[in-house]
Formats: sequence, structure tokens, C-alpha cells
Amino acid sequence: MPKRIAVITTVYKYLSHAQHEADRILVGYPHAGAWHRPDMKIVSLYVDQKPENDLSAARAREFGFVVYPTIAEALRCGTDKLAVDAVMIIGEHGNYPRNEKGQILYPRYEFFRQCVDVFEKDGRAVPVFNDKHLSYSFEKAKWMVGAHERLGFPMLAGSSLPVTWRLPDIELPLGCEIEDALMVGEGGSDPMDFHALEGMQCMVERRKGGETGVRAVQLIEGDAVWKAGDQGRWSKELLTAALSRSDTPLGLTVKDGRTQDLVHNGELPKLVKNPWAYFIEYADGLKSTLLMLDGALQDFNFAARVRGAGLMSTQFLLTPEPNVTYSACLIGKVEEMFVSGRAPYPVERTLLVSGVLEGCLTSRVQAHKQLETPHLNVSYQAPKERQHCRA
Amino acid sequence: MRVSRREFIAGTAAAPLALRGQQRPRLAAVCTIYFRMSHAQHIVGRFLEGYGWNSTHHHPPMDLVSLYVNQIGKDDVSRERAARYPAMKMYPTIAEALTLGTSKLAVDGVVLVGEHGHYPRNEKGQTKYPRYEFFQQIVKVFRDSGRSVPVFNDKHLSWNWDWAKEMYDTSRSMGFPFMAGSSLPVTWRTPSVEMPEGARVREALCVCYGGVDSYDFHGLETIQCMVERRPGGESGVKWVQAYRGENFWKAYQDRVWPHELMEAALCRSHTLTPARQGFNNVFPTFEDMKRLTKDPVAYRYEHSDGLKCTMLLMDDLVRDFNFAAKIEGRAEPFSTQMYLPMPDGRTTLANFFSPLVNNMEKMFLTGRPTYPVERTLLTTGLTAAGVESLYRKQARYDTPHLNISYQPTKESTFWRT
Repeated sequence: MPKRIAVITTVYKYLSHAQHEADRILVGYPHAGAWHRPDMKIVSLYVDQKPENDLSAARAREFGFVVYPTIAEALRCGTDKLAVDAVMIIGEHGNYPRNEKGQILYPRYEFFRQCVDVFEKDGRAVPVFNDKHLSYSFEKAKWMVGAHERLGFPMLAGSSLPVTWRLPDIELPLGCEIEDALMVGEGGSDPMDFHALEGMQCMVERRKGGETGVRAVQLIEGDAVWKAGDQGRWSKELLTAALSRSDTPLGLTVKDGRTQDLVHNGELPKLVKNPWAYFIEYADGLKSTLLMLDGALQDFNFAARVRGAGLMSTQFLLTPEPNVTYSACLIGKVEEMFVSGRAPYPVERTLLVSGVLEGCLTSRVQAHKQLETPHLNVSYQAPKERQHCRA
Repeated sequence: MRVSRREFIAGTAAAPLALRGQQRPRLAAVCTIYFRMSHAQHIVGRFLEGYGWNSTHHHPPMDLVSLYVNQIGKDDVSRERAARYPAMKMYPTIAEALTLGTSKLAVDGVVLVGEHGHYPRNEKGQTKYPRYEFFQQIVKVFRDSGRSVPVFNDKHLSWNWDWAKEMYDTSRSMGFPFMAGSSLPVTWRTPSVEMPEGARVREALCVCYGGVDSYDFHGLETIQCMVERRPGGESGVKWVQAYRGENFWKAYQDRVWPHELMEAALCRSHTLTPARQGFNNVFPTFEDMKRLTKDPVAYRYEHSDGLKCTMLLMDDLVRDFNFAAKIEGRAEPFSTQMYLPMPDGRTTLANFFSPLVNNMEKMFLTGRPTYPVERTLLTTGLTAAGVESLYRKQARYDTPHLNISYQPTKESTFWRT
């Protein structure tokens, strides 16, 4: 019997997350060199917004599922009891307001809460996948993970970055000692900084002792970012290492094709009008930095200095539209959880990153102050198995 | 013709080493044309400006001191480069570039980039890039100077098989290290896998894109760098047959090549054109492929030991290079993508030139090619044979001249670090 899936989403239009993620259940996806057709069936859909280019009705007609007007009805498939084997919450895209910190108020928590209500009323809970971060609010995110622990249903969340291809195909050794870590990316807040932070987190969580949480965060912007680099607050050596993996330097490369040593040729401040630096201080003393350098590049690259191994760096490969095959890597992990009942990597990673992002954006609106984050005492162990796409 | 691994290593070891004493090797670059995003710009630029490599901005430990450019167009950037890097002088002739204006060879290595530029096409559709002619001028300097240095030739050796063979034979008779070929064998792979050495390959196939006498060569190098690792190494190719247009689809339906390998290769693509509006990633049916693919071309060929390979150019269906093979004792096809970070909107840098330049550096430093030029001699001949079969109304073209034997390198030479 195919697994019966409910999809709860904000909007279902071409190239929205719901479209390319849910469609993979409907039409299959490339996996390990074959076109994989999951033994899963979408039986119900809830979609919060239906713009003119909505595809949900057409999909429902073609693939024989029902679009329900409420989340509870979608989970119960019109009956009075939970009638699905798993839930995908895809709360990305659609028109939602931003708060004063610039966070888009996607209703992921609100969707999740309604699912949990059904689980509690009906006395049965099923695995839930939550696309991207849990909520713009750490309090809400924590409630979500708390519900997962309380009711004991498997839960997976997060970005495609931790599971996509890496160039080169490296993994930090489990239990390594990380001296310094840096991620460089672009694309603005708060969609793309979340991806970058989670890409970095899936690397640093492998350090000795596992993850023990974050004690302070700070976000600075503008010239202060370059000054911080000059003062050694973030490592130019690591930025050079990360940029050595980039395929998309802008500026002179676009103009005449040349390669560039962007850290040392003086072009960065000309290219990046408003750099942002996210500083993360972990409970165990590790410090890491995310640099969002819009205007300098268009990909996501990580570097770390690892005791005994030296510099390690890689690009998280975001494959091009429209295929965005990285989302096939993510759906492979979702399917793995739906089939096995076990999340291949801990949802606490996404919980911590959700909180780090909120903390950094709060720092930004509080005069870029460093903020103590005792609430981010999130501990977990990294998965032993490598989880990124390599087969 | 047979070159054993021992002879291959002995031949190159006997060649003059580029690195003499503590001196940094000095290189000459001989190019057809030098504009933004041309092969010359990608390759020569990496010697001048360095490139991202292994967590640093790597500067090759050698100096590119002279440049010859055959065609200077309106969009030329070589003069800008020469102005910014005054240690590199431009010369009006190949001989002067190699002698630095003196009477004797004055460089330790030569980079020959004969791609792009305005050159006539012949009746078979081959662009007559003057790689052979440039090579002849290079070896004339070698002969006149009584000394030879390593040469790297970008892409295939020549559009003309006899000339390509002569280039190879000359390098052997004069005893200088010679490397050539495409970026495809040395670029990233997704997944990052190597054909296990000694794997008994039964069938191999590449689904890629681009034109005849152009990207077909890259597709053939994609296949060859994998299948050369089979037991016994490479033994040459007996015949080639091309299929184009309706013949291609008929051959597909007749299962001239295995559908399961084509499917595996397509499942490695990151650029599969969606067959249905509103869907971003669906597997195409036969009718979809037929509708989407513009002017499909297949080269089907058989190696001397019976291995059969197929190179498929499927323009508008994919924009990447995907390999699949049937290996004895393995139920599922073995497959990967040779990933080119292509600056066609997806990236800004053609960074697949970085591993290519890195391999050149190794040859210029050690005097030893990092992979055998016989691979590219064979793919040069395969490219010309595919073109020939197309020209002969897609008739099977026997290739007794492609009895090229060689052993692969033990070490993997694709980009993994």
C-alpha cells in the first residue's frame, strides 16, 4: 500500500517549493541514477493562497486527490479521523507580511499547530516534514519540536543545502576540532541567509562533543563588516578558501571573463554595497561567521580550519532552474523518513538555525549589538552517516 | 600501434624536463583568438591571474612569458592582459613567441589553444582550426633549436585525422611530452565517482549536447576517460556509425543502443528540459524527447575488444554531459555527470578549465603528462569518423586506422579536491 501523504502549503505555483517538492511525489524524481517513483500517494492538499497561476486544482484533477478548505480536513481526508500516513508542510512562497526585523511571516508554526491539534484529538500522530526553517520565531519553533517530542512522531525539517551535492565531495570528520568556520553566500534575508546558516551548521555540528548550542549572536552590516575583517574578527584566509570554490564571482569576471582573488584585489568593497556579517559564538567556544555578500557572487561556499587537516572548503551546489535537482536530494530524505519512521538527521539542527537567524535579525534592529542567547542551548549529535548527495 | 604503460612512462621520463634547477618554467601560449570567454582567455588567464584551487587562490609556479594570437578581433582582450601583465610579451609569429625574439627556443613549455576564431568550414562541416599548422610551426622551432619542450594542445588534435596522427607521431619521434584534450575528463563529477579499474564494461553511453565537430568531441572524451579503465586497457575502435534526425529516432526505437543506459544518463542531468508546462522536472517519454530535441545525433562505435559505446547529442533536451555504463556483475547501470560549471547563465567562470590548467602545470613541472595523449588521439579520430559517417549518409565507417592501444593512468585525474 502506498503511503498516503497530505501536503499543507502556502501556495502551489510553478517553481514554488510546493510545486517542485510535492510534484516529485506525483511524477517521481532523479535519484542515484534512476527515475525513482516513490511508493507514496498524495491524497489531500491544503493550499493557503490561490493566485491566478495556481496549479493545485489542475494537479488534484490529474492525480486524483482532493484540495480541502482546511488543514484538519486535509489530514482527515474528509472523514472524522486522521487518514494519512505522513504530512509535508511547505510554507515557502506566497504573499505574507514581513515584521520589523524583515522576517517573512510564513505560517509554518500555525500550519504545524493545526496538524498537532488533529494528532492530539484523534489520538494518533504521523511523521511530519517541515520545509525550511521551523518558524520566524524561536519560541514557536521550540513549541513545534516540543510537540514532536511530546507526541513522539518523526520530524524532519530544513533546507536543501545540507543534502545537495558538494564540490568537492567532502565531509568534516566526525569529532574533529574546528578552529574557525566561515560561510559566504548571497541573496538576502530571510530566505537565503537561512540556507547559508543551515549549510554551515550541518558542517560544524560534526565537531568534537557534538552540538551544544549558541551563547551569543551578532549581525553587523556595511563598512563595519570590512573593518571587522581587517581586525581579524572574521578570517580573510577562510574567505579566500571559501571563494576558491565559487563559480560565480561578479564584477571584473562578468566584464571580461578573468578569474579574481576577490579578497586581495580590492574589488569586494566596490561590488558589495551592503555586506552583512552574522557572528555566531557557540557554547563550547567555537566562533563562526556567515558573510552575505550580495553583488560579489551567486553561490554558497564554506570553509573551516580543522586541527590536523588544515583548511577544508566546499561549494554547496545549487543546481539550476527549472530542475533544481537539489530539491530531489531533499525529497529523498523526506521519503526515507516517511518509509522508515526515522529522521535521517536531527530536527534540532533546524531548530537551532531558526533561533540563530532570529537572533541575528534581532541584533540588526537593536543597533547591531551582540545578543546573549541562553535560550539557544540546543544540544544534539550529528548523524554518523553522511547525508549529502553522493550516490 | 601499441604503447605499453612502461613505454609511456619511459618515453616521457626521457623527455627534457621543464624544470631545470630552481628556475620557474617559462611558457609560451599560441592561440587562435583571445576574447572574453574564449578558450584562450580561460586557459591563458589562469596562468596570469591564478585561480581558485584547494582552498586558496593558486598562482601557477611558472611564468607565461609570451603570447601569439592569430586573430585580433574587436572584442580582443589579449592586449589588455599584456598591458596588465608586462612580463608577458605578445609576438607577431609563433616562432618569435617560442624564441622570445631570439634565434633559439627560449621557453620551457607551450600551450596551444586552437579553439574559436573565424576559420573556414569544409564540406563535411568541420571547422579548419589551424592546430596542426600551429603545431608544425612549434616543432620547426624545436628542430631548429635542437631541443623540445612539453606541449599541451587544447581539445582534439586536428580536424584532419592524418594530421592528428602526424602530430602524435612527431611528439613520439622527437620525444617531447605531449598532452591534449577536453575538460570533461578532469572536471567535477556528480556523484564524485571513478570507473573502478578493471571493471568489465559491456556498454557505455553519454547523453550530452552541442554540435558536430564541436561538443561531440567532449562527449567522446567523457566516454573514453571512463571506458579506458576496462581490463586490458584501450585497444582501439573498429567502426563508427552516425545516426541523425529521423534515423536517430528509428535507431532508438530499434534499440540500437540500450534504453536503460540512456535513462540512467538522463537521470544524472541537472538540465533536463521539462516535457510538460508547469512541471519543472519530469522524465520525458519517447514522444517528448522527439518533440524537444533539435537535430539529434548519435555516434555508435565498437572497440576492438567488442565494447560498444554511444555518444548522443541531444540539443534542447539537456545542457550537460551525462555518462552511463553497463558493468558486468552489477545490476544497475553505473552513472555520473561530468559537471561543467558552465558560464551560460549558470555561472560566471568556466571553472572546469581550472583542473585542465592544473594538469598542464604538472606536466610543465615534471615533464610527465598526467594522462595519455593516446586518449585524445583516439577521440580525435572518433570525432572525425563520426563526421565522416554523417557525410557518407550515415553509413557505417570502418576505422582500421583507429587501432590505438594504451593503458590508463592508475590514479584518477578528475577534480576531487
